[in-house]
Amino acid sequence: MFILSKKDWELPESAVTPEKLYRTHNRRDFLKTLGTGVAAAALLPRGLRAATGGFPAKENPAYPLSALKPTAYEFITSYNNFYEFGMEKSDPKEYANKGWKTEPWTIEVKGLVRNPAKFDVNDLITKAGGLEQRVYRHRCVEAWSMVVPWDGFPLAKLVALADPKPEAKYLQFKSFVDRKAAIGQRQGNLDYPYVEGLRLDEATNELAFMATGIYGKPIPNQNGAPLRLVTPWKYGFKGIKSIVQIEFTSRMPENTWAVMNGQEYGFYANVNPHVDHPRWSQASERVIGAGVFGGRQPTLMFNGYEKQVGALYKGLDLVRNY
Amino acid sequence: MAWLEKLLRSKAVVVTLIVLPGLWPAWPLLRHDPTVLADPLKYVLHHLGFVACLLLAIVLTFTPLRVLFPKWGIALALNRHRRLVGVSAFFYAALHFATHLLYEGGFRVLASDVTKPFLISGLLAFAILLVLAVTSLHAALRWLGGKRWKNLHRLVYLAAALAAYHQIYAQKLFPMQVVWIFGPVIVLEILRILRQRRPKLTAAATG
Repeated sequence: MFILSKKDWELPESAVTPEKLYRTHNRRDFLKTLGTGVAAAALLPRGLRAATGGFPAKENPAYPLSALKPTAYEFITSYNNFYEFGMEKSDPKEYANKGWKTEPWTIEVKGLVRNPAKFDVNDLITKAGGLEQRVYRHRCVEAWSMVVPWDGFPLAKLVALADPKPEAKYLQFKSFVDRKAAIGQRQGNLDYPYVEGLRLDEATNELAFMATGIYGKPIPNQNGAPLRLVTPWKYGFKGIKSIVQIEFTSRMPENTWAVMNGQEYGFYANVNPHVDHPRWSQASERVIGAGVFGGRQPTLMFNGYEKQVGALYKGLDLVRNY
Repeated sequence: MAWLEKLLRSKAVVVTLIVLPGLWPAWPLLRHDPTVLADPLKYVLHHLGFVACLLLAIVLTFTPLRVLFPKWGIALALNRHRRLVGVSAFFYAALHFATHLLYEGGFRVLASDVTKPFLISGLLAFAILLVLAVTSLHAALRWLGGKRWKNLHRLVYLAAALAAYHQIYAQKLFPMQVVWIFGPVIVLEILRILRQRRPKLTAAATG
């Protein structure tokens, strides 16, 4: 699709906080010197190693650190929903770093494609053209939000490598199963493996991203090492973590939360302040790290990415297709 | 167990046991636990709701325990504090509700709350506890008369059912915690009803 749209970095003046801009640039410079490939991995505590290839990532000027105020690394890596490792926000950090191996890691691409293949994650990073950094808003369906500096590559690059056949309309993503390492899978809190799906045109949208890092470092296990999906215009649960398989299909695939609780969670899961969750309003959100009196900020349509993705949903009833 | 009975008879001990869980959130906050600090108010909100449910369930075990074990000193000691524990449950529910308002950014959230069963159940449970707390004063008992007062205060079972529903729907998946909190109440109430039925049944049979 060749739709010329106004780019997202053309933000209004109100979105820029000069003081924070200053601070984050300092932090970035610090991380640049620290975050050089294997040397950085050697400095990281055990359990934080994932896909180590491709660092340092180049900043994508379309999604710069200066445009948004990133959430502190500590919060991004301590406040996680990753039910494979328990249902409390603190569980993934604790239980995903107890001997769960995320390297080496293989991702299988199969289904309606001309180039089915199995990739080592580091090879995939190289084949996809290396890493770039993008700062995205992250909105959870639970009405909280973060801003995350991801490192990764566009999902469109992986789709191009796979070369989908004309009948391919959807992608199904599958996460890992390791009942020995994953306490949540032993408890059986959800049906595993966790699966998610996208329409092919969603997957090739410029925003859809495969993340292998956060803040210029390999992505921690609790955030979905070594490779996870990031779709910033959708609620966080669409961002399937620790992907082992991507299958191109002709029919809309199942996604775990729609199967577990279809009344509350659907396939599309687009961030939409006008469509409430059955149990709470989605009109506003709590900002992670803002403190007790941080208040709420209004939630933006498609999480502020309407320019990039609005055209995908022309004519679709967003109340019914939640 | 005599020492435990003696301890539980003391109002000061029971008040301490009730106040301590309210102070619990201070601990991770002081420890700078990043998971809690990420959204501290949510942590406080959930914790206060949890304590309110727990106290409500605990106070509902007192009467059945006394009926089932009329000679057990601990059951008798606990029954001295029915009003105190019941009003404390209301107090925690009020703090939970106030935190909800702060968390959601003010009273205007109530307009959206009343469209959602999850939030209506919490509001109703809180409203019932409010009425029961106000009428827990001796003056109210005298004003209402014993029978009407007793009937009114049976609404506590409705409040408990609503609170359990509210707690279940606070999560995406069924939380087993609810079973641990409200399960014992249900078991004790069934046993109590069976116990209290029996004399009537034998009386009917012989009469």
